[in-house]
Amino acid sequence: MGVPAFFRWLSRKYPSIIVHCLEEKGKECNGVRIPVDTTKPNPNEVEFDNLYLDMNGIIHPCTHPEDKPAPKNEDEMMVAIFEYIDRLFNIVRPRRVLYMAIDGVAPRAKMNQQRSRRFRASKEGVELMEEKSRVREEIIQRGGFLPPEDIKERFDSNCITPGTEFMDNLARCLRYYVADRLSNDPGWKNIVVFLSDASVPGEGEHKIMDFIRRQRAQPNHDPNTHHCLCGADADLIMLGLATHEPNFTIIREEFKPNKPRPCALCGQMGHELKECAGVAREKQGKNDEFADSMPAAEQEFIFIRLCVLREYLSRELTMASLPFPFDFERSVDDWVFMCFFVGNDFLPHLPSLEIREGAIDRLVNIYKDVVHKTGGYLTHNGFVNLERVEMIMQAVGVAEDNIFKKRKEDDENFKRRNKEKRKRMRAEQQGPAFLTTGQFAPQALGRRDRPEPVQNARHQAYGMRMHSNMDAAQSLKATMKNGGNPSAGFSDSRGAKRKAEDSDSEPEPEDNVRLWEEGWKQRYYKSKFDVDATDEGFRTKVVQSYVEGLCWVLRYYYQGCGSWKWYFPFHYAPFASDFKDINGMFTDFEKDTKPFKPLEQLMSVFPAASGNFLPLSWRNLMISVNSSIIDFYPDDFAIDLNGKKFAWQGVALLPFVDERRLRAALADVYPDLTPDEERRNSLGSDVLFLGKLHPLFDFIHELYRSESHQVSTIPAELCHGIQGSLNLDEDPILPDKIVKSPIPTLRDISHCSAINVKFKDPQFAEGFVFKAVLLSGAKIPSKVLKPGDWERGNREPWRPQLGFNPNRQQAHLNQSAFRALGHSLNRNQNVGGQYSNTPPPSSYRQGGFRPTQSSAHQPVMYSRQSTTPAAPPSFSGHQPPFTRQQQPFRAGGPVWDQQNPNRGGYQQHYAQWPNRREDRRDNRDPHQQAFSRSYPPPPPSRRYNWN
Amino acid sequence: MSTLDVVDFIQQNRALADQVETFRDYCENEKHWEARREFILRNINDFNEEQRDLLLSLSMVWANNVFMGCRYSKELLEKVQEMAEGIVVENAPIFKTRDEIMKKQQVCS
Repeated sequence: MGVPAFFRWLSRKYPSIIVHCLEEKGKECNGVRIPVDTTKPNPNEVEFDNLYLDMNGIIHPCTHPEDKPAPKNEDEMMVAIFEYIDRLFNIVRPRRVLYMAIDGVAPRAKMNQQRSRRFRASKEGVELMEEKSRVREEIIQRGGFLPPEDIKERFDSNCITPGTEFMDNLARCLRYYVADRLSNDPGWKNIVVFLSDASVPGEGEHKIMDFIRRQRAQPNHDPNTHHCLCGADADLIMLGLATHEPNFTIIREEFKPNKPRPCALCGQMGHELKECAGVAREKQGKNDEFADSMPAAEQEFIFIRLCVLREYLSRELTMASLPFPFDFERSVDDWVFMCFFVGNDFLPHLPSLEIREGAIDRLVNIYKDVVHKTGGYLTHNGFVNLERVEMIMQAVGVAEDNIFKKRKEDDENFKRRNKEKRKRMRAEQQGPAFLTTGQFAPQALGRRDRPEPVQNARHQAYGMRMHSNMDAAQSLKATMKNGGNPSAGFSDSRGAKRKAEDSDSEPEPEDNVRLWEEGWKQRYYKSKFDVDATDEGFRTKVVQSYVEGLCWVLRYYYQGCGSWKWYFPFHYAPFASDFKDINGMFTDFEKDTKPFKPLEQLMSVFPAASGNFLPLSWRNLMISVNSSIIDFYPDDFAIDLNGKKFAWQGVALLPFVDERRLRAALADVYPDLTPDEERRNSLGSDVLFLGKLHPLFDFIHELYRSESHQVSTIPAELCHGIQGSLNLDEDPILPDKIVKSPIPTLRDISHCSAINVKFKDPQFAEGFVFKAVLLSGAKIPSKVLKPGDWERGNREPWRPQLGFNPNRQQAHLNQSAFRALGHSLNRNQNVGGQYSNTPPPSSYRQGGFRPTQSSAHQPVMYSRQSTTPAAPPSFSGHQPPFTRQQQPFRAGGPVWDQQNPNRGGYQQHYAQWPNRREDRRDNRDPHQQAFSRSYPPPPPSRRYNWN
Repeated sequence: MSTLDVVDFIQQNRALADQVETFRDYCENEKHWEARREFILRNINDFNEEQRDLLLSLSMVWANNVFMGCRYSKELLEKVQEMAEGIVVENAPIFKTRDEIMKKQQVCS
């Protein structure tokens, strides 16, 4: 879902849905890697049956990672993808099914978004290249040092689109990978692997949903299958809820904001491309041999437990005294539907509903208000009741005016605060204009080397005075030398400062809609659609398309793709208050629409700059003046910032593709396809793989032996109740047939024990409706959240559940272990004495992770006693108390300003930390210092009270 | 061909005008369509039946440029501007293309 904020919002509001993954790492012994035995029980204390991979979420970070150097060639990319899947497999350890789905051709509704992403990506790539070569040149002229330019070509991430050679190659590599693991990894021996590559139409996650939906609808499905779906998109959460499977977990990378990125030019951390100075890294410590490698913070994974989210939702949505019986499952569907208003990949979001402004809460409140009047739910099995939706929209519409005014207000406040903060930060950085030096230099409190008595005070004072005079004289001279242009002087002159100040008030993007002012609706329609407010007909058209869109999206999530052709033909959404008389606006979609062919889709989502992925005569249609579809491929396009600040946040105004004209133009060039291109352009099939030990193996092997080319169905009892039809593969992987490795660095599989066969999901009659209900026999997992009436029961204090297992064994440390831990923790600190607190690790400095002050009474960080749960959030309450005392004179304010202890904020403290440590470190060996310290005894045992 | 001429032309060539009406995009508003229709009608005689799509494409190039801010190659833009000579568009919207935004942001930083 195009709402990055959605997941953040969800995880803040419903924190218990998140469980951190425990990952067992492979060990190394004498240089030999020992793989993890994934047949062992899952260390996360839960067993998953099925693991689904939305592969595009894996392909992108593996081919063009943001936080580490890019792989050198395609082979390395493939290996990176294999390793990533291995990692996930090790964490999740599925016992029945591994389903890998790569995005195939998407429905038209999605194509507009894909188009805009690819047009942008293409431009961004070119800009980065230009910027790189510009900075490189500058640096080399200045005599700077840079690593030699790598020969490798820029990886155009646009090739991750179905139909390209890259995707074809990827599919081949994955077949090899699966065959290899099935043959060699004991953890895989009992599982069935499904691979749905880019030749099968549909977005990856929706192919997965289709699989689950169709399995659920057939009688042999196990209603207590535990599903685990991997992917970072927020809409996976919606999709998971939409299945109504009680055991559904999502696994994704933990999102850490503002992760440091290496400079694109020299590969070092700590600066951006723009600031690259081309200097060799300075030797900073004795471990500098690692200077070139990244800090080893591997991306960690988290689980999102949808059953816990369902618990939360049931608290929030349950309504008493309804005129109709309350059905939690139906209300979940309505909740999912309302989330679509706030944003999805297929429709622009309504201008008044912004997730950051609590739009979903607002909608839920309105929903609960209105539901008494509507007399029922908004949706049923993915079909929308428009009459009731209109009531919701009208209620939002009433508030619209105020929402816009409030937004403006908040925005202004935010800017003002930011400005003040910057001012403060600057003042702190500059320090006071005059600072006493020598023996008068300010000293921190609590240091062991206490200030000496002052000697020869007058002489020192004289020295300081003369010194500052000399500084002033020098700066004056410099000013005169530079022709009176003060900003060119090397000293801290006023002119330069003024300039820096001005650059702060960033230019405001023009906004001629001004939603906060009277007449906003007219201005919006005029500026976004170029129509007058009186043009009711046009407005109705936009609303109707949007209504169709809402129906399409919901149907897509609950029943599968309703129409491959439908799309929202505008760049902007209407207002909530415009949704009037929408009841008759939608009946049904056109039947039997067909998806594009892969190469057709490439033609409709690529800019001309990515034409190299297409056959020559096809590419020509993107650039020739005499092409009858040349209007699809502008060189440059307008971006409407739409109230946002950066180009990538704005709306790309790209023309829509006219399907008829596209097909007509392509008809002429179809004969130019080579056989290989024709193969890439054809629709493929899902493939099922399994190993020799699987019960279904003999059945499939027999199919190949008898060469029965008719479709056969899976005997349900052989495969955990999974159903579907099988068909022979033209070029199958068979046991004892050598599987050639498509990657030079990897070996061929000489002893293959895997087999594969084409697979097709169970088919249902046309008009079949997949029911959005809990299946009979489904057991709801035990509750995790603290019951609201816990205190009244007067039992023991509530202990939150941290993992999957409600009866988790807690880790214990005995006294000596505690001492050992304390010892090694302290050793790294180089600070001793009474204030030897553990500072927050520097990584917490970024990303606005602000520790709260409320619980700052833990004297020593490791004082948590052994009875406390294993992993409560640490650090937050434990800032070193003395930093604040030191802070005022960095802030340049009056020294020892105790009235004002919070100036500067915590960020400032942390930023200063390393320096201070340098200052106070004497020349002693740190080890020695560590020994010379006395350790506080472990504090008395204490229990956290989690109420 | 002024607006009046367009009306005249439509009245005299009902069949053709009806056909041209089918070229209208669903999302096109009255103002944009009127301008593009004029573009098509002005040039329709220079394109035979087979080249109809080319004409439509060129009309879209022109309309996208004027109403959506899209930029195409110089050659192409000159061509459609020539074809559109005389068409009056009142209050054409003003756009900033992506390149312009990026350039401006670079200067600022």
